[in-house]
Amino acid sequence: MAEVTDSMAHAPISSEKFDLSVEQVSLHFETPNGVLKAVDEVSFGVETGRFVGLVGPSGCGKSSLLLMMAGLQKATFGDIIVEGEPLTGPRPQDVGVIFQESSLLPWKTASENVEFPLALRGVDKAERKQLATDMLKLVGLSGFEDRHPFELSGGMKQRVSIARGFCQDPRILLMDEPFAALDEQTRMTLGDELLRIWEGHRKTVVFVTHSLTEAVYLCDDVIVMSAQPGRILERIEIDLPRPRTYETMATADFGRLRDRIWRLIRGSE
Amino acid sequence: MGRDSCEAPFISPATLRWLFLAVIVVVWELVPRLGLVPSVMLAPASEAMIAGFQDFGTFARALGITFGQLASALIFAYGIGALAGLLLGSVYFLRETLLPIVSSIYAVPLVIVYPLLTAWVGIGPESKVIFGALYGFFPMALSVAAGVQTVDRQYILAARSMGARTSQILFQIMLPASVPSILSGLRIGGAMTAIGVVVAEMMAATGGIGFLITQNRTMFNTAEVYFGIFLVLILTGLLDMFIRLMERCFTNWYPKET
Amino acid sequence: MLSSSYRVLVQAGIVLILLGLWEAAVFSGLADTRTLPPPSEIAIHIVALLGDQDVLYNLWITSAQVGLAFLIVAPVGVAIGLLLGEHEYIGRAFRPFFYFLAGVPKSVFLPVFILTFGIGFTQKVAFGIFQAIFVLVISAIAAVGSVSPTLIKVARSYGANRWQLYSQIFLPAMMPVVIEGMRLGMIFNITGVVFAEMYVARAGIGHMIATWGMSFQMPQLFAGIFLTAFLSIAVNEVLRWYERRVDKWRK
Ligand SMILES: Nc1ncnc2c1ncn2[C@@H]1O[C@H](COP(=O)(O)OP(=O)(O)O)[C@@H](O)[C@H]1O
Ligand SMILES: [Mg+2]
Repeated sequence: MAEVTDSMAHAPISSEKFDLSVEQVSLHFETPNGVLKAVDEVSFGVETGRFVGLVGPSGCGKSSLLLMMAGLQKATFGDIIVEGEPLTGPRPQDVGVIFQESSLLPWKTASENVEFPLALRGVDKAERKQLATDMLKLVGLSGFEDRHPFELSGGMKQRVSIARGFCQDPRILLMDEPFAALDEQTRMTLGDELLRIWEGHRKTVVFVTHSLTEAVYLCDDVIVMSAQPGRILERIEIDLPRPRTYETMATADFGRLRDRIWRLIRGSE
Repeated sequence: MGRDSCEAPFISPATLRWLFLAVIVVVWELVPRLGLVPSVMLAPASEAMIAGFQDFGTFARALGITFGQLASALIFAYGIGALAGLLLGSVYFLRETLLPIVSSIYAVPLVIVYPLLTAWVGIGPESKVIFGALYGFFPMALSVAAGVQTVDRQYILAARSMGARTSQILFQIMLPASVPSILSGLRIGGAMTAIGVVVAEMMAATGGIGFLITQNRTMFNTAEVYFGIFLVLILTGLLDMFIRLMERCFTNWYPKET
Repeated sequence: MLSSSYRVLVQAGIVLILLGLWEAAVFSGLADTRTLPPPSEIAIHIVALLGDQDVLYNLWITSAQVGLAFLIVAPVGVAIGLLLGEHEYIGRAFRPFFYFLAGVPKSVFLPVFILTFGIGFTQKVAFGIFQAIFVLVISAIAAVGSVSPTLIKVARSYGANRWQLYSQIFLPAMMPVVIEGMRLGMIFNITGVVFAEMYVARAGIGHMIATWGMSFQMPQLFAGIFLTAFLSIAVNEVLRWYERRVDKWRK
């Protein structure tokens, strides 16, 4: 049964327990109409190996939060603690990001794109090529190593993007609406594959999505945010058994959880 | 609508194109021969070719001079233009203030500064090289600046999240991402440099193909004038082909045009 | 983004500093006044030129040539471009000519215009047209291509007739690209006319600049260059302003 762990969103956070903890983080933008509180005093923690979803209306600060967790954007107030140390910039061994498929470098082949994080680190060519080939095989793209992104479909490109994220091999993977540009069928398939790979590697994941079905299907916890100022409304534990399948979606529990999130989002508007 | 009705009446568009070209050559040959226009206006195609090939040594020498000046001018136009474009496009302050000024200067007919150049450095090859470089500088700088500016921010974010240093972002992201604009700068800048060199030669010079055309015009050697023009067209055609070839080599990651 | 008033201020500052350095270089003796007159002297000469009947007459001649060439080439170029862009068969047959000629240095054809039209007004206008027409045609072809087929389908499904299709869909949708082509055409047109005046002519600002240059009248030469540059930039900025106004709905 779905148990609402409302207290988690507000309880003081001890960073030892968590791989990643967000502590009283705010992000303000100066705009012509005054200060915009894109993210407002947000706190939460993510335990090792957990798959946490982040949902909320468009513009509620999900992407901003993710950029801060990746060390790509400085918080106006508060800290992001990774492995016990506050983040001051990108830390690629600890935190990786899987962007939408459009972030693949168009002048590199699929394999070169997957190798890229390793190349930046100075990993030897033969070794990284082998790793990339293995990773592409894992996402079902054997034989496509030498294709350029324009020769691949949207779904295939996103697979390459996922392979790149796992090839970088950080402890924590952040994903910002990775499947948003794909059609329904492709995103269902890719969701299943992501779960399969994740179950093999057990990384800590923070997954932003605007699809509630996707959030409930993939995640252990779903954090629901409200817009302007961007705050956490509630954190909902999704205690549906794994492995989850298509049948999971038809269960009453699944529907109840999704309804609950929907009501929260709608109520906040 | 024209778009929808594309069946060819009788002959294909390509055939029509070649036919039209053939008609132009025939008209070029016949109109002056039949005395429809004075021969000082238009020399028959065959006469232009014959005149040119009889005096081929002179033309070849002139072409050699022009080519040398063009090559030197290109080095400056490309080098300085690329550097300036990189700075103008990537440094925020310059992009906001100086770039609009540079793009406004693009509207100035640069020919007007040529008399200044000749007053300063004379009418020798230096003035041609400087003028050609000046002509090519602007399109090169503006193309590169545009390219650097429009690099997708996602690429840079992704690279930074993977731990790329500033130099790695510059050389592994910014540079390859701007290749298409750099190439278009090379093409437009190259064509403009050629125009600059030839225009300079036409206005005041002691050698080069532009000078030869002008010299023949003042002597009313119409056939030679047409042959000179013909050579310049060939020259620019070759330059264009060369740059297209480079484009092919550097942009194999593009969807092929059909 | 810098605010636009701040940007203009900084730009004015940059220009003033450059002029100041130039002035200082001349007065400190780093540069020779005979080959590089100071900006202050050039400014005085610009004012003098603007009061000189002869200069004003020549400026008027140049403007008339540029203006007439533009009045002719703008509708003709756009019409040819529309035909080549709209009509698949004619377009496929003749577009390559225009693409090729657009990339060719048209200046070398100037002698042909002299041989054909002489060295007067007509020749300058004809050469201005020749310089400008290719970029105009190509812009108009691109403009046709920029009209979204969906828009056309939607309009047709609402029962738009051919005239409504052209006046309500094609024309407004193509306007921004066409105007941009006209602006580029204007740049080429001015360059063509001024170059033709400098090459061989009896009148026009280009002719005056060439004469000042040959007789080493440096202050007049500089003043003429700056004046012509200002005027060209002004024409360009006006067209650019219009382009932006027409283009408001795109982004
Ligand atoms: N660089 C910026 N400058 C000003 N406002 C911004 C900037 N980036 C994001 N915002 C604003 O911050 C809010 C949160 O944006 P974002 O994190 O992208 O939301 P989400 O990803 O949830 O849709 C939005 O209102 C957005 O307009
Ligand atoms: Mg977002």
